[in-house]
Formats: sequence, structure tokens, C-alpha cells
Amino acid sequence: MTRKELTLGERMQARGVSRRAFLRYCATTASLLALPPAMAPRIAAALEAQRRPSVIWLSFQECTGCTESLTRSASPSIESMIFETISLDYHHTLQAAAGHQAEEAREIAMKENWGNYLVLVDGSIPTGNMGYSTTAGESNIETLKRVAEGAAAVISIGTCSSFGGIPYANPNPTGAVSVSDVVKDKPIVNIPGCPPIPAVMTSVLAHYLAFGSLPELDHLNRPMVFYGQNIHDRCYRRPFYERGQFAESFDDEGAKKGWCLYKLGCKGPTTYNACAVLKWNEGTSFPIESGHGCLGCSEPNFWDAGSFYSPLSTSTRLNAGTVALAGAVGVGVGAAAGVAARARQKKIKSAPAKAWTPTKAEAKAEEESQ
Amino acid sequence: MTEVITKQEREEAFAMFYGMAASIGELAEPAPEMTDEERVERAKEVFLKGIDNNVAVQLDACVHCGACAQACQFFLGTEDPKYTPIHKLDLLKKVYKRELSPMSWLNKFLTPDITADDLRDQVELVYDSCTMCGRCNMVCPSAINIGDMVALNRSAMAAAGLAPAELRYMRDGQEADGTIFGADEDLFNFRIQDIEQKLGFEIPIDKKGADVLLMTSGLDIHLFADATGGAIETLHHMGVDFTLASKTPGYEGANFGSLSGYDATKKKLTKDSTAAIEELGVKTVIVPECGHSYPALRFGAAEAVGRDVKFEVMTVSEYFGRAVMDGRLKLEKKDHPTPIALHDPCKVGRWGGVFDEPRAILKACGYDLHETESNKQYNFCCGGGAGNFLLPSADKLKRVGYRIKMGEIEATGAEELVVSCGSCRMNFEVGKVKAGDSMPVESLAAIIAAHLPQKDKAEGDRA
Amino acid sequence: MSLLDFARGPALQWAAVIFVIGMLWRTVGLLLMLRSRPLSKDRKSGLAGAGVKTMFSRFLLPKVFAKRVGFQFLLGWVWHVGFVLTLFFFQVHVLFFKGVFGFSWPALPNAVVLPVAAVTLGILLILLVRRMTNPMLRYISNFNDYSSVIVTLLPFVTGFATFTHIPALAYETLLALHFLSVALLLVWFPFSKLFHVITVLPSRYILGVKFWRRGVEA
Repeated sequence: MTRKELTLGERMQARGVSRRAFLRYCATTASLLALPPAMAPRIAAALEAQRRPSVIWLSFQECTGCTESLTRSASPSIESMIFETISLDYHHTLQAAAGHQAEEAREIAMKENWGNYLVLVDGSIPTGNMGYSTTAGESNIETLKRVAEGAAAVISIGTCSSFGGIPYANPNPTGAVSVSDVVKDKPIVNIPGCPPIPAVMTSVLAHYLAFGSLPELDHLNRPMVFYGQNIHDRCYRRPFYERGQFAESFDDEGAKKGWCLYKLGCKGPTTYNACAVLKWNEGTSFPIESGHGCLGCSEPNFWDAGSFYSPLSTSTRLNAGTVALAGAVGVGVGAAAGVAARARQKKIKSAPAKAWTPTKAEAKAEEESQ
Repeated sequence: MTEVITKQEREEAFAMFYGMAASIGELAEPAPEMTDEERVERAKEVFLKGIDNNVAVQLDACVHCGACAQACQFFLGTEDPKYTPIHKLDLLKKVYKRELSPMSWLNKFLTPDITADDLRDQVELVYDSCTMCGRCNMVCPSAINIGDMVALNRSAMAAAGLAPAELRYMRDGQEADGTIFGADEDLFNFRIQDIEQKLGFEIPIDKKGADVLLMTSGLDIHLFADATGGAIETLHHMGVDFTLASKTPGYEGANFGSLSGYDATKKKLTKDSTAAIEELGVKTVIVPECGHSYPALRFGAAEAVGRDVKFEVMTVSEYFGRAVMDGRLKLEKKDHPTPIALHDPCKVGRWGGVFDEPRAILKACGYDLHETESNKQYNFCCGGGAGNFLLPSADKLKRVGYRIKMGEIEATGAEELVVSCGSCRMNFEVGKVKAGDSMPVESLAAIIAAHLPQKDKAEGDRA
Repeated sequence: MSLLDFARGPALQWAAVIFVIGMLWRTVGLLLMLRSRPLSKDRKSGLAGAGVKTMFSRFLLPKVFAKRVGFQFLLGWVWHVGFVLTLFFFQVHVLFFKGVFGFSWPALPNAVVLPVAAVTLGILLILLVRRMTNPMLRYISNFNDYSSVIVTLLPFVTGFATFTHIPALAYETLLALHFLSVALLLVWFPFSKLFHVITVLPSRYILGVKFWRRGVEA
């Protein structure tokens, strides 16, 4: 593998990306990361001067959707160019090498950059039978542990590596876990989403490259700037929610008028992501805009949080069957209590009345009779 | 009407009677000796006997809204929270929750048991400050029968040996003699002969097979002979085949077993009366103008003997009111320049349903009846019902109750009050004296008698 | 499991189970208790009709009590109606019931339900303050009374916080708290005075019959 030590600036020029376009990308990244505009030149300077850091991308129980999201765009975008700034030394889908060659590349990259390389992970890690998912005869969990050991930081790309995702969903046949369940001693950034928004992935990388540090994270280790607000609060359909105007089905008048999709199961209110702001396909649209409720794909356990089509206001476990079963038990206990009370009442009623005091005369009469 | 007792005679008798009544507490036998455990055990037994499905449902329907307080004259007059009617059922509720409620298995751990001190504190609440008038029943959004449940409380108190001395005295006396205030058979016969002389006709006594038996009460024999005399005169005038009974169970309508809470005595007295009535074979019994004697016999007779009874029970106002309404009794309309007010005794009105009859009588007499703001089933108690007129400890409360009642009467502009209950009358008379009021209080039976048409005209009616 | 998952799932499920068991336990237990029947002749006929009449006539306050009880009676009326409207006719609640029972009914517009809920919450607060400050009510009140009012108004507080999405907490936390407050209400219901929902009409019937057999309209 060639290891030309070119800076990003040089590589951009070689690729014919104009300085203007590059600066615009830096400004966009700064604003995405909620940094002051003054930071844009600093990002530019840092990126231009940056030697390509080594990145190892590990794919475990995944669908390649995250990679697709990152790479698949209508035309080569500035975002895709970010990969020119890194040395992607290992990536099943993208690398040319295969078999032992590929593994060897990873080993070399690790050795050369020990302690400094980034590990990007997509897919969850099975803890059950190692045969569920192996690479070159090594179980995923072993690979992750070994590779993460020399990493500067681990970035979980997608919901599976962040929170377990679909493999983790009930009944979780492979015993899937997230990266943070396995790696305990490295900085971890979770970029959940099924898949995540491309700009979010690249922005986090850009931040790391520019400042050598990770962006501010929330309690789930998600970058605050992208996951700090829920979709509901930023949704352009929010006014219809306030007014109580809801689409009742996907083809009714309300749906056509673009009313709120809450009743159709939209998980926007409980989903923290930037979809409603950044949108997808280069800012074209996002699920709610195209008429479908948010699935909540970037939230932990989204697959098990009830039907995608049942509103948030409904219970996930309660149903008429449960109620009926409880009813039968209630009738049983009540009947037992009632029968006990009846028995008690009968006993009291039949007991000889001693609850009144004899008069003096009667007491005397009783005394005499004894 | 023939005057069977002059106003002066009545006032003298009243003064004497009042003096006697004031000292009965001291005459009572000492309260029965009992350990605290025995008191609690006996009270609980009575409570549990009294709690059936109806009581349970009603106790479970209370939300402590406090509306009942606003119906109770003792709360309204004192603003003392402890007189809130539903508070008087707290012990009953506790026993129910712990022992009989469907959730007693849980409640046992959460509800403390009642104690003898609880019972002692309860005495004032269910005797002095409650006449079981049942007005709270009428305001309760859950329609809880608080009045009857206070009666159950009185039974529990009595069983625990905690009934007030005055009521114990009355109950002991009636248990032994069958009558009250010493109105024994000699006195009864004397009074009847006296009335007979004044009325000028023979009063049938112990006449088997008569249509109607007229009962009286110790109070009337001593004090309110006008009520008894009026009823007798009217029956005679109507030509009814009636009789009085010369033995206590046949003439004494009062039941101090009921008022004091001694259930066994209550049952025994009613049973004896029922036997006497059935032996006479009358079709109808007229109970005297004595509030509680009406429900005691009307609704209690069947319970006492364990089967329905053949005779019909009516109270004086009911019997004569019906006669007026269906034309059997014609009264002479007289000119009454001032309006009159009517007091519906709780036991006859709210607990007996007799409302239209006394009003029909007053109308037939030509009275201008001014209804009190609270009337019929919403009527205020006189303040001293349910035997409370005998409790000196309740004096203050009685005055408070009287004040509210009299306030409503005065507000009507009436200058005369008519009552069809001896103890209400007692309480009004005492209240008047203590408050310096001067509203005349009349017996309805006496008023009927005073409006009987002239003899010659009445002859035709009788035919 | 997040708080919301817990609230929507097991919390609500178990609360409903306890609610149903408790309600039926107490109801069936009451039904089975022995009842004494009067032996004396009735003064009037048509007892059942009179009982039913009292069940409904007690929804109205007799005029004679209007001055003293009118205010609390009116408040009681309004908040009960408000509670029912909010519980069963708020759009999102209808969805909830549809989820549980599988069928739904028309909801009221938010413009109606929200003010109703606000008034209901206001009255509940007034009643709570009244219970704490009125000497008579304070005297007769016990844990059951206070807790029942508070447990009833909590869903309103959390409901409003959720709907308006107050900034202090995340939406899913608010929604979870709302579900949990409902769960608390469900659990508390059968064991407290809130059970009067079952007993109030039978209780009225009982007095209606009792008084009508004596010739009195209760």
C-alpha cells in the first residue's frame, strides 16, 4: 500500500477542488458543529496541514447501509472527499485488498500508528457463538478488543455499533452488544442512525482532524450539536400537532395536507437527531417530509419500542388480553373475599346476642336462679 | 274542641315534668361495669352485626366531601368540625374496613383497631350532637344513610355500657314497667277517666275487634293530654269504632330501647306491643304524637316478630290527614288572621313520609300555612329529637339546634307553630323559655279537635 | 430500557393489571356480602324505579342546600365532567384506548379539550387548597383524601407539561412521567376513595329505595 505523505490541501489541489469550495466546506463544517465562524479558517488551516491519520473501519453484524450512506451520493460531494484526508487502511467494502492481504494491511497500520489511529465500527458485536460473525477466523469481539487497544478513539457509526441496533432487538439471537459494551477504556463517540446522516459522520471526523479532540457529547456519547434536539421540535409539521390536526391514514385528506403524523406512529418527539434540519440526499428531504413518520432509528432499542405505526401515546405491552386475564384474577380474589365476608357475617348473626347489658332486675333474677 | 287540659294546668305540669326530667340522670343505676376489652368487643360485635351489603356499599361511597356538615344544624350552629356528620361514622368505617370489607386482608395492616377511648369520645358525637334526623342523608352526593348508621353507633355505645345515664334510666324504666316517666296503668286510667269526664262520653277501653287502636305515650299522659284528648274527640266525632288499651304494651308508643340504643329492649317492647295489638284484633293502630314511636312500630313491628304484621300503623297526623283528604273527616274552616308554620318531625316526615296529610288538615282548618325554607324531607330537626331533650349534657347543642330551627320559623312570618310530635314540642317549649321566645306551639291533634264542626252538622256527615 | 420504555411497557401493564384486579376484587367482594331485607310493608310501590330516580336526582343539588353547598357541588360537577372529557376525548388519549382495546371513537378538537383540562386542573388545585385550609375539611381529611386528589391531578400536570413540552425536561422524560402518573393513578384507584366511581350510584339507589318505601323522595 502506498503511503504518500501529502497534506489535504495538496491532495485537493491535485483532485481539482477549488480553494473556494474547500473554504465553503470548512465554513459549513464549522456551522454544523456550532462553532463560531472565526473557526472556519482554523479548520481549513488544520485540514490543509493535516497528515492523513490512519483509520481502521471494522464491520461486524451490519448491513453496509452506513457505508452506503457515507459513499452513495448523486455526484462526488465534498463530504465524500473527507476520505481523502484520512488513510482508510482497512474497510471490507471499500478496500481493494482481500483475504490475508487485507488483514495484513490492518496489522501494519496498527503497528505503525499504535496509539494514534481511529477505529470506526459499524455493526453490533455478537457475544454468543463466535461462529455467528468472524473475520479471518477471528471472532468480532476479539478483533474489536485487539484493534481498539491501540486506538486513539473509537467512533461507532450507526445504531448497531452505538446501541446494538437491529441485531440486538428482541430476542437478540446472537447476543449482540454495542461497542461501548465491549470497549471500556477508550473515548467513544456514538453516531447512531440507521443509517446516520453523512454530514454528521464527516463533521465528527473533521472536528477530530481540526482540533485533535472529539466534539461535546451527550449522555449517550452522541455529539451534542447533532443529537441535542428532537425531530419533533424542529419538524415543519409541528404547528399541525399543536392544533391537533393529524393524518389518520397514509392516504387521507390530512396526509395530503401534510398534517402531523403523530397518530400514524411518528417517533419524532422522542428521537434526537438532526434529520429535520440537515435532511437527506443533500438536503432534499427527510422521512417526515416524504410522508412517513419517524421510526426513531437513531434511538436505543428503537426496534422494540412498540409498533412503528402505533402512536407514542399508546402502551407497548398493554392489551385486551392482559386486561381480561387480570379481570379473571380480580373476580377470583373478590369472590374469595366476598365468601369470607359472608361466612363472617353469618357467624356474627348466629352468635348469641350478649351485646346488651341486663337490667338490675334481670341481673338479680339471674343471680337468684344460679 | 273540649278543653281537656287548661293552659295553666299544662304549664304547671310542664314545670314539674321539666324538673323531674332534669334529675333522671342522677336516678339512673350506675353504668354497667365492664373492662375496656369487653367494651371494644361488644361494640364491634354490634357494628359487625349491623354492617350488611347496603352499609358496606355506602361506606365505600364516601369521598369526604364534607357536604353533610352543611346540612347539620349542630355543625352549622357551632362550626365545630367534630360535629361533621360523616365523622361520626369513623369508628364504624374502621371496623368495617378491618373486619368485613373485601379488602380487609390488606386493611388489617393499615387501619388501627378501635379502642375503648375511641368509644368514650364517640358518645358525645352520636348522642348529644346527633338526633339522627337524617338531614345529612339528603345533601350527600352519595346518598349515604348517615342517620341510620348513627343509630347503629348508639347501639354499639349501649352495648359497650356507654349510653348516657338519662337514656339508660329511661330504658331501664321502660324495660321494667313498659312505660316511661312512671306513666303506669293507674296513671293512664286516671288520665283517661279525666278526659272522659271532660269530653262527656265513654272512651272504649280494651274493646276487642275494634277497627282502630289509639296509642298514647307517657309524655302525653303527663303533659300533652290535649293531644290525646284531641285524637279521642276526633275519632269519636268521626264515629270510628276505636279503642284504647289499658295495659302498657297497648298504650305506650314510646320506645326508649330504640332511642338509647338497647336493641334487645327495643325489640322486646315492640314485640310486646305487637302481641297486644294482635290480641285486640284491630285493623289500624294510631300511634301518638310522638315522633319515634311511628317508625318504631310502623317499620319495627315486622322486624321484631320476624314476619309481616296484619295491622296497619299510622301516626295521628297521617290518619286524620287521610280522613280529611278522602272526605271522611270534614273540618270547619275558621278565620285565622295570622299565618301558621308547620314543623315536620324528622321521624314522621323524613323517616316516615307523612307530609301531605298535616298540610291537608291545616288547609281544611283555614290556616295560612307558611312553609319554612327547609321543609318536608329537608326539614331541620327541632334540635332535641331522639331522646336528646333529656340530656343535660347536650343543652348547649340543643339551644343551637333550636335557634336554627326557630330562625327558619320566624323568617316565615308565622305567629304560631304547629307540631305533631311530643318531644319536638317539649324541645320547643324548653327552647322558648331559655331563649325568651313567645311563639305559641300547638299540637296538630288538638287543632283538629278545635276545628270539628258543630255537632248537628257533623251528625249528617257521620251517616 | 429507557424510562419511557419502562413507563409505556411494564409500568403501565402492571398498573393496569393491579387496577383491574383491585376493582373487581372490591366490587365482587361487595356484591357477595349478605344483605338484610326489611320485613315491614312498604308505604309506596315502585321501589326500583325510585331507587333509579335517586341515582340520577342526586346529580342535582336540592335548592335548599344551594347556598351552602352550591359552590363545591358546581366545582365537583365541572371537574368530573372535565376529567371524563380529557381522559376519553383528547385526541392522543383516544389513540391510547384504540391501542388497548382495538377500537376507537371520535375525539374532541384540542381547542376544546385543552381549556377543559386546564379548568379541571385548576379546580382540583382549588379543592386541594380548600381541603387544607377549611377547618372542617381539614378535620375530616385523612391520607386517603389528600393522596387521592394529588394522584388525580398529577396526570393533568404531567399531561400539560408533555403537551406543551416544557423546556426543563426532555419530551420522552415528560411523556414517561405522564405514563407513570397514570400508572400511579391506576394503582391507587381501587384501594382508595376513588373507588366511589363504582359505589356512588348503588349507594344512591340504596337510599332511594330505603326512603321511598317509607314514602319519601330521597
